[in-house]
Order: sequence, then C-alpha cells, then structure tokens
Amino acid sequence: MARNDTLEMGELTDTAYYILLSLVEAKHGYLIMQTIEEMTDQRFSIGPASMYTTIKKLLASELIKLFEDHDPKRKTYIATEKGIDLLKKEVNRRREMVIHAEAVFNRKGEQL
Amino acid sequence: MKKVKYVPSGGLAFYEEKEMLKLGKYAKEGWILEKFAGLGYSLRKGEPQDIQYSLDYQKDADEEYFAIFEAAGWSHVCSEGNEIHIFSAPTGTKPIYTDKPTIVEKYEREKKQMGKTALPFFISTVVFWLLSFLTNWGMVPKILFQVMGLISLVILVFPGLPYLSYQYKLLKLRKE
Repeated sequence: MARNDTLEMGELTDTAYYILLSLVEAKHGYLIMQTIEEMTDQRFSIGPASMYTTIKKLLASELIKLFEDHDPKRKTYIATEKGIDLLKKEVNRRREMVIHAEAVFNRKGEQL
Repeated sequence: MKKVKYVPSGGLAFYEEKEMLKLGKYAKEGWILEKFAGLGYSLRKGEPQDIQYSLDYQKDADEEYFAIFEAAGWSHVCSEGNEIHIFSAPTGTKPIYTDKPTIVEKYEREKKQMGKTALPFFISTVVFWLLSFLTNWGMVPKILFQVMGLISLVILVFPGLPYLSYQYKLLKLRKE
C-alpha cells in the first residue's frame, strides 16, 4: 500500500528502470523521455504524468538527485550511487530471468 | 450568438473518463473548455477542434510539472486550487499515464486526501448517533444529538462518496 512499495522491495517498475538508466548522465525531464524513446526504438514511451510521478518517487527514495535547477522549468537530475547500485542489481535480476527462460526453451528445442 | 456557456459537471471523482470525453465532444462542436466554474465548466465558442482532455491530481504542481506536460504535447487548460489539472492534446497524443503503478498512485493520493477530510465527520456522525441512543436522562434532548448526527452525515457525504469512488476505482485497477 505504501507509496514506495516497489522501490523498497528493491525492484524497479519498467518506467523507473528506464528513467534511472537514462539518468546515469544528468538530464532534464523532457530529455529523459526522448532518450528512452530513442533507446527503445519508440517501443517504450512514458507519459508526462507517469514521468513526473516517477521522478518524484525516485527523488524521495534517493535513487536520483537534483543536479541543477537554474531553470525551474528544466531541472536536471542524475542517478545517485544508491541508484546506480540498485540499477545494476536490477539489470542482473532481469538478465537472470532471461537466462532462465532461455534454458527452458533450449531444452524444449524451441527458438525464442 | 452566445460566446460562453456553462456546462455542469457530473462529478469528476465519479465520472472522470466520461467527463473528459464529454469535453472532447464539445470541442469538436467548437465549444472549448476555458476554466472550472462553480460545479462545472465554462466553455468558450471557437473553432471546432479534434482534441482529447485528461485530468491529473497533483498538489502544489510546479513549473517543471507543466513544462513536462507541454513538452509531451499536452497543453495546460485550467486548474482548480493548484491540485486538479486539466490538459488537452490533439487526438492521438500518447496518454499522460503510461503505467499502472503511477495510475494507482494518482488515485491513492486523492483517496488519502478525501479520507483525511471525511474522517472527522465520520467520527462525529458515529458519536452523535451513539449518544442519541445512549441518552435516557431527558436532560439533554435526544433530538439534539439526532440533529447533530444528521448534519455530520450530510457533510460527510461530500468527501465520503468521492472516497468510496476512488476506493472502488483502485479495487478495479488492482484486479485488472
């Protein structure tokens, strides 16, 4: 029920995952959206309300921090050390999930 | 011909999607949403537009909030108490919410707030109702507690029903 549910469990939603990933380098809100769309070949896009809510959530759990706010319309953020650590953990978790699936399909001789 | 008209709202807490579709239909007829007005909206006559409307709840929205919407193609139309915000965008623009956890959070936030407002009236309704049953000593007239209880109940309805509506919405979202 709590606001930070998924973050406290140490798992990132797809939205939080991609935002954190694009904040390995400092960016402002709109550039985050664009970066993610380019990175995923337009397959994954984040609406503005989901973007704003998730940024606030990542800030509150100290996974990202304010980088610069000279222009209040274009605050830039960057991932914190804690954020990078969680991201790496998450990448490994997701990689393992893929390996598990590959093993199952390989055994059945089915192509993925 | 009239330039401005008033359209009553069916209640945003209960019929958010329907209300947004209704405003979109008006826009197609050239009646463009201008602002919240009383218990409804004020529309201004203009060019017919093929646009969609979306509503978001965000307390103390800052410049960054509106800038992110703007950059995604959603123009800010109007707000109520810097908490309820309506945006519009050409039909086909991608939605303002794209994942379930953040949609759930939108209604969690509103539910919590309505709950906070409703709680004191809920308590006073129950207390007055109980008192009206427990008073047998004629000194304090039963009717007084009954009237107070009724007043509390009437006030309770305003935050109480939206609270239940959000609760229902959240239940549906979690089941999906």
